[in-house]
Amino acid sequence: MLDASLASEEQFVALQETLTNPVWQVIIWAVLAALAYHLVAGVRHMLMDCGLGESLKGGRLGAIVVVVLSVVLIVLAGVWVW
Amino acid sequence: MVTAVTNLGRSGLYDWLIQRASALVLTAYTLFITAYILFTPDLTYDQWQALFGQLWMRIFTLLTLLSIVTHAWIGLWSVLTDYLTERLMGFKGTIMRLLAQGLLALVAVTYTLWGVEIIWGF
Repeated sequence: MLDASLASEEQFVALQETLTNPVWQVIIWAVLAALAYHLVAGVRHMLMDCGLGESLKGGRLGAIVVVVLSVVLIVLAGVWVW
Repeated sequence: MVTAVTNLGRSGLYDWLIQRASALVLTAYTLFITAYILFTPDLTYDQWQALFGQLWMRIFTLLTLLSIVTHAWIGLWSVLTDYLTERLMGFKGTIMRLLAQGLLALVAVTYTLWGVEIIWGF
């Protein structure tokens, strides 16, 4: 996709057309959803590396925050795609 | 203990550090590209090409590509050494793990070389 988008004006426009296809949109949304969750959970993981949220209460809170934030981002990604 | 011959770094601690460093690069790049696309209404080819024409963006993109490869290798290494093991399924486990890692290596090298060609080829 990156190759096509940079190769020429025509391919850039052609890619834009391709991405109006619902199948592609679902695939992209799924990838964005996985990335959003992974990123948020990763940030939490690194916070725990710094010693934050390692207690039982902190850990549980962190888990809930990750899930809630991920759901929000995933919904936003859906809005962005469609 | 798995014979640490297929992991990326010299030691577990080395991997641990690379994992965090690459994660930071990937997070920065993800935020940047998302913000760029969001705040550039009806993005044109000229703008997009101009962005990737700049040296710093090319370096940032390739740095991100390398970060993806190292992050994926270390991450999947810990996954594969957890599940494709001799403890679980005898010697077949190690064979399957090495096959999986070989495939991952092939994909990683392909994406890296292709990425370089894209960024410096256009």
